[in-house]
Amino acid sequence: MARLAFEPWGNYSLALAASVECLGVEPWTSSSTTPEVLRLGVEATPDSACLSFKACTGHFVKAAQEGVEYGAMVNSTGTCRLRYYHLLQRQILRERGLRLFVFNVGYDGLKPPIVRHFDPDLPHFLQCCLRARLKVLTVDAIEGAAWRTRARELEPGATTRVMKQCLQELGQARTTRQIRAVRRRVGERFGTVSLAAGRSPLRVGLLGEAAVLRNRFLNHNLEEILGSLGVVPRNFFLLGEEIKNIFGVGLWSRHSRFTLKRLARPYLRSPVGGHAVESVGNAVACAREGYDGLIHVCPTGCMPEISVRPIIRKIGRDLDIPVLECSFDEHTSHVGVITRVEAFVDVMEQRRLRSGHHGKNGSSA
Amino acid sequence: MNFFRQHHFQSPEPIGIPRCLWYFLHPGLWEAFFCELGLPVVQSGATWRETIACAGLISEAEHCLPVKIHDAHLHQLAEAGVARVFVPRVLSTMPRHIACPKLGALPDCAIAQFGHRLSVVSVELDEARVGLRYSLLELAGTLGVRGSQARAAAEAGLAALAAQRRRWREQTGAMGEGSGRRILLLGHPYNLYDPYVSDPVTGKLRACGADFSLVDYTRSRVVPEPLKWDACSLMYNALRELQPSACAGVIQLSSFNCGCDSMAMEFYRDRLKRKGIPYMRLVLDEYEGRAGLDTRLEAFVDSIGW
Ligand code: SF4
Repeated sequence: MARLAFEPWGNYSLALAASVECLGVEPWTSSSTTPEVLRLGVEATPDSACLSFKACTGHFVKAAQEGVEYGAMVNSTGTCRLRYYHLLQRQILRERGLRLFVFNVGYDGLKPPIVRHFDPDLPHFLQCCLRARLKVLTVDAIEGAAWRTRARELEPGATTRVMKQCLQELGQARTTRQIRAVRRRVGERFGTVSLAAGRSPLRVGLLGEAAVLRNRFLNHNLEEILGSLGVVPRNFFLLGEEIKNIFGVGLWSRHSRFTLKRLARPYLRSPVGGHAVESVGNAVACAREGYDGLIHVCPTGCMPEISVRPIIRKIGRDLDIPVLECSFDEHTSHVGVITRVEAFVDVMEQRRLRSGHHGKNGSSA
Repeated sequence: MNFFRQHHFQSPEPIGIPRCLWYFLHPGLWEAFFCELGLPVVQSGATWRETIACAGLISEAEHCLPVKIHDAHLHQLAEAGVARVFVPRVLSTMPRHIACPKLGALPDCAIAQFGHRLSVVSVELDEARVGLRYSLLELAGTLGVRGSQARAAAEAGLAALAAQRRRWREQTGAMGEGSGRRILLLGHPYNLYDPYVSDPVTGKLRACGADFSLVDYTRSRVVPEPLKWDACSLMYNALRELQPSACAGVIQLSSFNCGCDSMAMEFYRDRLKRKGIPYMRLVLDEYEGRAGLDTRLEAFVDSIGW
């Protein structure tokens, strides 16, 4: 069977793999980048490119070296560099004599080239896509439970263990019924982790660029760092919502682009591109929802996210919510990230003590 | 209703124009336009060493250099006591193209950073959708001027723009003009036409006795393939037509942290490699590596055998 490589999207990779399988090809991916892959990417790409591009290209180079035939790259019609990723990747692979064809997956009519090429049986394909969506939602449920549990676990690592177990089961689930069963068991599974009693933990929203938010290696495992410091993170790149936005459903949901745009409007009137409007909108929403802090995450020099940074800073000042700005590139030091996050957690603690409010219960995160 | 209303501002509040970044996209336009509207214009001083130093201090560290410089100019205007500034929202400067996304967020960032000291007058410039003239009329409307005076201001602005562009073009001459092969200088208008940025490069080239042209921003036919960003696409189109017999080499003036260039340069490089034309990219940063720049230019000019 031919193989198709795609860039890692954290735990969502598992759901995406399911939809690739229904094209009749074998998926080639992982949940996060490895140091070796990043090294390959850094070598192959221009210095000034962004980290996401480097990591993604590294994956394709690695895949090509292992004899994978195809790759899939999302192609935004937007304003940022993402639009040209696939073109440059083709060029880079060609120059290195590697034979891997990169499809661009984007708004290309009802039947994008990738579907046309593999030409799967349509009803079966649609059914698989629905199943993949269910997997995405299940991943969201698992992650949500993990974030809440990790911040209060008594035995370090217990949550991660349970989470791995759940994800493994989800990976193996083939039918809709099996996926539903996994989802139902999530609460019960995480219930087995013993929790420390006490006040509700700090809550922090992670906003910014999607690939770095979702790739544990690229963001130095921010979610776990925060969890181990007793903080409940909430990652605002949600693939389920993204899909809804693309198809224009669920306009009134808290996470829809429509709502976020409305929230962002007093501060930002331009669409900018990428997820910049969503970041600004989420910053306002988090401040109103009583989060204790925000972490703005993006690759160093990310065009849309960096251009709204002054605005997010201003929101932090206006709505009195601390903001930590984290940019990542291949030189970012892990220890540095931990130190900065620790200092930030102190700031949030102080703020909570000062204002004397104890936040909402973490369970709504 | 008074059909012959002449618009007189009671005490027209001057409007500040930062002389950097988007100012060079429509050179000459804004002064002429605001003057015709009867608004006194205060321009920031030309970019200078102090401007760059100030940019490093007050601006977001990861912005590209031109956006940082823009912040410094706004700061300078605020320090000079100007109460309102003009910052357009540039979404596109060419049909079928888009502008760099950073330009779209500029007015919002200006408000976020300087809102407590300055009020910001803005208008959306999206030439992919509406002509420049309409945007100018809209801007006049938001400033409370309508009718013939607004139209006259728009005309005056556009005429000044055309004149300035013509002057630019004449300054260095186009590729293929004159005898012998020339070097083509690529770069965004705010790099090529800001004397502080480009003078060290053009000065050095002159000193080496090299003939050069700047990429022509008056060209009318630009195909948005493969690049959609306006300036980058224009440069790529220029390279596409370049004849190795007329061009000795291409030098690109780029800014530190420029996202568009980081992608576009790969397309340029590929295109020029296939044509066999030497290519060099110079990155300008805020740390003033001018000595290195001279050496690299010399080496480049030597290598193409001037
Ligand atoms: S094109 Fe480059 S230099 Fe110009 S504003 Fe955009 S990122 Fe900055």
